[in-house]
Amino acid sequence: MKIKKIMGMIIVLILFLGAGYFLLRRPYQEYSLNLFYMDTYIQIKFDTKKSRDDVKKIKEEVTKIYQDYHELANRYTEYGQNVYYLIHNTSEEEVITVDPKLYELLSYGETAYQESNGLLDINMGCVIDKWKYYRERKEGIPTDEELESCNSVNRLVLLGENQVLNNHPNIDLGAIAKGYATEKVKEYFESVGITSYIINAGGNVVVGTPQNKDYYQVGIEDPNDGSVFKVLKVTNQAVVTSGGYERFYEYEGHKYHHIIDPNTNYPSEYMKSVTIITDDSALADQLSTTLFLMSIEEGKAYIERYPNVEVIWYSNDDEIIMTEGVKKYE
Amino acid sequence: MNKQDGILIFILIILSLLGMAFFYLSEKDGPKKAVVYYEDQVVLEIDLTQKEEKTYQVEGFNGMVTIESKDGKVKVASENSPLHLCSKQGYISSSYETIVCLPNKIVVAIEANDSLDAVAK
Repeated sequence: MKIKKIMGMIIVLILFLGAGYFLLRRPYQEYSLNLFYMDTYIQIKFDTKKSRDDVKKIKEEVTKIYQDYHELANRYTEYGQNVYYLIHNTSEEEVITVDPKLYELLSYGETAYQESNGLLDINMGCVIDKWKYYRERKEGIPTDEELESCNSVNRLVLLGENQVLNNHPNIDLGAIAKGYATEKVKEYFESVGITSYIINAGGNVVVGTPQNKDYYQVGIEDPNDGSVFKVLKVTNQAVVTSGGYERFYEYEGHKYHHIIDPNTNYPSEYMKSVTIITDDSALADQLSTTLFLMSIEEGKAYIERYPNVEVIWYSNDDEIIMTEGVKKYE
Repeated sequence: MNKQDGILIFILIILSLLGMAFFYLSEKDGPKKAVVYYEDQVVLEIDLTQKEEKTYQVEGFNGMVTIESKDGKVKVASENSPLHLCSKQGYISSSYETIVCLPNKIVVAIEANDSLDAVAK
């Protein structure tokens, strides 16, 4: 009799503990954050056990990172000592000081210029604007005189200690700012212990390690019809595609897109798209543009100096060419 | 252990099973749905498992945005913006597709279970 009573109490106790566990444990919760910066819709999802207050703070911090780089890299509106200021300031000073974060980003651009032998050039603002003018009208192309007038624009000169020569260089950070800011967000997530996250900044995708499955599935868009031609299984990687098929216009039977080759001052036409897979989002952004500006053969040789970078080219003849290591993501 | 003890234990077992079932079901992902955001706020969720055509309206930055769903697809039917890019886009039905109405700060995203997490483009 007594044993049965004790048994009964034990069962009740177990049930209460079980119920308590279900009620009190704090499970992983999924949170999402949608932002509009750098002309892009940025969609972020992350999983964490952190409290609501902590999550609120994290969302504010992530928003601030994107907003900061949006403002620093902005060519059309002045926000403090940003790119607009660099181009248009009326100061008589020979040397000006820019925001330290912008200086770091400009230095990153300078390094990318060196590494790419001049192909990825942040000094292309003037030429980009000439093309943008016609792209927005969906008619005509810049004249040779218009493009040549850009030759007289000064190049950026970095002087160290956040100082640059005040020679009004026409900077455009479009090829690197998004990937650079996203890398900062990734670093922030990791610093606060969030490992399960996916960031989609207008098709530049960066993922951590998902909490509830083995990997994230990232598709790559087919430049011909917008479908998905390949699915990658990735963790802790950035997947970034450059292509001419999203932003372009057609004039006299020819398509003109937005990625300009500094050697010709015309849109580059080596391929339909190129996708980079690597763990650094800033590098992925930089390399996708760089590889888009050279032939596939040149790209294959160029990429050898970067370990752990995988590439998928989509050629003009609709051939898909991949580096050996893409296999591990299939 | 008398009869009342037995009944009590029985009731507790049933209650805890119900509790577990509740938590299990609420944690499982729901079926396919469209989620409409205004900036970062979810303003509408549309069940995409229903076949018949349905029309919804949400408040965008430039006024009302009309959204239609049918046969597991969803589209923005009308909105007020300079280029009408998002109403020109038409229906979407896969989880990697989104409709972005930048001027109205409205985003329509599809959530489903067995699908891609993102698409690089």
